[in-house]
Amino acid sequence: MNLPVMLDSALDELYARIRPVLAVVRDGRRGAGAGILAGNGLVLTNLHVVRGRHPVEVTLDDDRTYPAKLVASDKRVDLALLEIPVDGGAAAVLSKDSPRTGELVYAFGHPWGQRNVLTGGVLSAVTSVHGQDGEVPILRADVQLAPGNSGGPLLNAAGEVLGLNAMIFGGDQSVAIPAGVVREFLEAARREHVPEGVL
Amino acid sequence: MSNVLVDLSNSMAAAAEKAGASTVTVNARRRMPASGIAFAADLVLTADHTVEREDGISVFLPDKTEVNASLAGRDPGSDLAVLRLEKSVAAPAAPAAGVRIGQLVLALGRPSPDGLEASLGVISALGGPVRTPRGSLERYIRTDTTPYPGFSGGPLADAEGRVAGINTSGFGRGVALTIPADLAWKVAQQLAEHGSIQHGYLGVRSEAVEIAAAVQKALKREQASGLLVISVEKDSPAEAGELMVGDILAAIDGVPVPDHDTLFARLAGDIVGKSVPVEVLRGGQPKTLKIKIGARQ
Repeated sequence: MNLPVMLDSALDELYARIRPVLAVVRDGRRGAGAGILAGNGLVLTNLHVVRGRHPVEVTLDDDRTYPAKLVASDKRVDLALLEIPVDGGAAAVLSKDSPRTGELVYAFGHPWGQRNVLTGGVLSAVTSVHGQDGEVPILRADVQLAPGNSGGPLLNAAGEVLGLNAMIFGGDQSVAIPAGVVREFLEAARREHVPEGVL
Repeated sequence: MSNVLVDLSNSMAAAAEKAGASTVTVNARRRMPASGIAFAADLVLTADHTVEREDGISVFLPDKTEVNASLAGRDPGSDLAVLRLEKSVAAPAAPAAGVRIGQLVLALGRPSPDGLEASLGVISALGGPVRTPRGSLERYIRTDTTPYPGFSGGPLADAEGRVAGINTSGFGRGVALTIPADLAWKVAQQLAEHGSIQHGYLGVRSEAVEIAAAVQKALKREQASGLLVISVEKDSPAEAGELMVGDILAAIDGVPVPDHDTLFARLAGDIVGKSVPVEVLRGGQPKTLKIKIGARQ
C-alpha cells in the first residue's frame, strides 16, 4: 500500500471509531449542536448549545432520540453535562497528552445541520483567552467549523478528544476547550452533581 | 493507537517545533507584534512592513526572554528587513534547498511570547518576477495556508522543519506570499552587510518585442520575447558597454530577460558594480557585450 492509501484507511478507522460517541444536541431552537458520550448516559456539550428554556433532546448515532437533563454546567468554560436514560454505552476517550502546535487535528460535528462531518487541519495554538472570570485555556485550530460544530470533539490523529469545539472566530479558526479542562469539569461534576459511581 | 496518521501528525508537530525554535516575536510596531526568523545568532529576518519604528525595537525569543534589537537594514521592494540583536542568543534556522508544488507546509508565527502558532497547507504555485508596491520580487511561493494576524515575517516550514521561505501579507490586496528562503537569505545577507539593497542602473529605455522563431534558433534557446532598446542615456553603463539603439536585449548575466519585470528583478542586489555579459540581438544575430552595471541613485 502506498502512503496516501494508508493515510486514507487510518482516517476511515478514526471516523468509524468516533462516530458512535458523537451525539446531536437540540434544545428546540433552530439549529443543533453536537455532544460526545461520556459513558453511562452522560453527554458532554457546550453550555451555549443548551442554554434555551426549552427541553433538551439528544439523538445518538443509531437515530434514537432521548430527552436529556442538565446535570452540571460551568459558564466560565462553556461546558455542560447532560444525562439521557441510556445504560452503559460507548464513551469518548479524552487525550492525556499535551497538545502540540502543528499536530494534525480533526473536528467532528454537524455543521449547518449536516450530520457527522469531519474537517481536518492542524493545531494552530495552545493558548488562553481572557474571559469574564479570568484566564481560560483554549486550543485554536485551522479546521473549518460552522454552527453545529459546537460541543463536538476536536480529535488528535489517534482519535482521542483533544478538546470540545466551542467558538468560531471569522470562520477560519476554531477554538476548543482543552481535554484537561473538560476532565476537571467532569471530576467537579462527579463530586457535586452526579451520584457516586455513575462516572 | 499507532498508525501512519499518528506518525504524520507527530512529524508535523516536530517540524513546527524545529522551525519554531528559530521563530521569534518582533516588537517594532504599535499594533500587535509580528514574527521573525533568526538566520544567525544575532540576526533576525522579518517583514519590512511590520517595522514601523527604528528605535525601541525588541524581540521575544521562544523561551520568552526579551532582547533589544536595532534595525540593520531594510528593503521595502522585497518587504524584507534585518534586525541585529544586542546579544548573540538566537538559534539560526536551517533553510530548505527548494520547494515543489503540492508539498505539505506549515506557516508558523509567534505573534506573542505566549507561544508558537501554525497553519497547515500545501505549496500552491511558484511565481515571479512580480512588481510589488515598492519595487519588485524575483520569485515567490503561494500557499493555501491561513495567514493569521502577526504571521508576517514568520517561516514557511517544510515537513522536516526547514525554512522554505518567509511569509508576508505586506504586498497588499489581502494577498499573502512567501519569499523563497534562498532569495530571502541572499537579501538578508546584503542587508546585514550594507543596510540596503543596491539597485542596478543600465541607462536604456526599452520595449518588449517578439523574437522571431528563426532568431530564437540563433539564440539556441526558446525565448519568445526580448527588450528592444529605444534609447541609450549619455554617459550610462549601457553607452560605455556599446549597447546600441535597435539592439534587442536578450539576457543579462546568463539570465534571459523576456520582459521589464525580469530585467528589473535581475538588476537588484549583488550585480551592482560588476562587469557582466549582456546578450543582445543585433541584426538578428546574437552578440555578447560586457557591461559594468552601475548603481541607481
